[in-house]
Amino acid sequence: MRRTVRAATALAFGLVILVPLFPLYWMVISALKGPEELQKAPPTWFPSHVTLSAFGEVFKAVPFGSAFLNSVLIAGVSTLSVLVTSVMAGFVFAKYRFRGRDLLFWSVVATMFLPPIVTLVPLYWLVSTMGLADSYLGVMLPWLANAFGIFLMRQFIADVPEELIEAARLDGASEARIVWQIVTPLLRPALVSLAIFAFVFYWNNFLWPLSILQSDDKFPVVLALSRLLSYSTSVQYQNVVMAGALIASVPTIVVFLLAQRVFVQSISRTGVKG
Amino acid sequence: MTVQTSHTARRGAAIAFLSPAMAVIVLFVAVPIALTFWISLHDWSMYTPLSQMTWRGLGNYADLLHSDDFLNALENTLVYVVIVLVTTVPLALALGMLLYFPKMAGKGVARAALFSTYVIPTVAIAIVWGALYAPDYGPLSQALGAVGIDSPAWLSDPQTALLSLGVFHVWQMTGYYTILVIAGLTQIPDDVYEAARIDGAGFWRQTFSVTLPLLRRTTTFIVLIAAINAIQVFDPVYILTQGGPAESTTVLSYAIQRAAFQNGMAGQASAMAFSLLLVLVAVAGVVLAAMRRRTAAEGRS
Repeated sequence: MRRTVRAATALAFGLVILVPLFPLYWMVISALKGPEELQKAPPTWFPSHVTLSAFGEVFKAVPFGSAFLNSVLIAGVSTLSVLVTSVMAGFVFAKYRFRGRDLLFWSVVATMFLPPIVTLVPLYWLVSTMGLADSYLGVMLPWLANAFGIFLMRQFIADVPEELIEAARLDGASEARIVWQIVTPLLRPALVSLAIFAFVFYWNNFLWPLSILQSDDKFPVVLALSRLLSYSTSVQYQNVVMAGALIASVPTIVVFLLAQRVFVQSISRTGVKG
Repeated sequence: MTVQTSHTARRGAAIAFLSPAMAVIVLFVAVPIALTFWISLHDWSMYTPLSQMTWRGLGNYADLLHSDDFLNALENTLVYVVIVLVTTVPLALALGMLLYFPKMAGKGVARAALFSTYVIPTVAIAIVWGALYAPDYGPLSQALGAVGIDSPAWLSDPQTALLSLGVFHVWQMTGYYTILVIAGLTQIPDDVYEAARIDGAGFWRQTFSVTLPLLRRTTTFIVLIAAINAIQVFDPVYILTQGGPAESTTVLSYAIQRAAFQNGMAGQASAMAFSLLLVLVAVAGVVLAAMRRRTAAEGRS
């Protein structure tokens, strides 16, 4: 009986590892196959002939290199901005007392659950009325602060001891100095996880760039990838599309692996509270 | 420094610290919510100036009730949400317990593998799923064929396309919800289980009488988040099916984007969007009220 339970658990563990990873495996082997092998039905589960040619072609088919850099720029700037704005707002919500504070805070938190599709039309109108359609600033501007970051930072800043802040005030430290030189250094793990969350979110964000951008030289990598897919639907080009998909995924996978532990812990911290 | 000046300094600081975040949220979240409603009362193509809007009152909403396209999108969205909820939530609970309780090597690897699906760009991984589902060249049909099952046509059959998208969604999101379950499990103290064991409760008894009841808050939260995530599915629809075949995968968010950006019917798109928001608020209200009532009832007993 015991042995059956153990065997079943081991089997379940195996599945829990295999099922999530199989599509990734398929992405990699499809990127490494040549056109002839891709046209084989049924498909081969291991490439009989490994070629890297698709990784060169993907940069010729669409401006994939500049798209990659666009994503670095868009995700990088948005992430930085979210970190700064969230620390400041989180500090106010955690450490200042004023009338209407909690109402304001929970109203902000409620926007965390708002699906972006609900406000897509007016957002498009607002940003294009500001003359920012089809621009980098237009892609980034609506996302330079978000409720999730504010919520996360407030939760962590609330744990910073009040005495520490009071002591700094008695020493004559300005409020700005308290935020950046006393509180922020204590938030290292929280900042790392917020940075990862934000970076992954902005790197993967598709609907908004799709709606606001027209010229391919400004496309982020996921948009270039969808364009690539529409040019090469035939199965013999699948290696090129898969190579593109792989390149587009590498940064988020690397970031995740580097900070996996912090990442998973911070979900535990924010996922369910109260 | 007197108390008075430090108080003024702090007020100034509060305003300075809050304004960047609040400016973005007010301008790009709060104002657009109000604008969505305002636009939904008009006929308007997004690509013309606001001055060319014509007033329709609640006409767009009345049209929706008779629009086969909207009703179809609504039905598809509901089916999709139900498919996702009935699979991800029990699965995440089971996997959470599997990855929390047994003393086994490889837990960390399993958690990481499970969660990795959540960080990969949906666009990239949806493309891969398109290849997995491919009728002749895909591994899924081949594997089913090998065990003697006639593979369905997955994304190319109106009967199975929505279900296939649902399977992809479950694959992508279950890891995230599982981590939330694990987080909930860590908050249950060990002595509760010890007490249950002393009372002679076995594994199943402990699961249904201790673990699941104590996870109710977590579960409610997951149901809510999972419903919200499923209700707004867009990327895989855009990448894999474009709403087809035969409109079988046209869900609300896809219908909204298409009406506004491809058909120039921003008024009607906004009516759909605002209805979606109302449905969300109602669902969240019901779920949260149910949770509160339950908690209150427990408090009394």
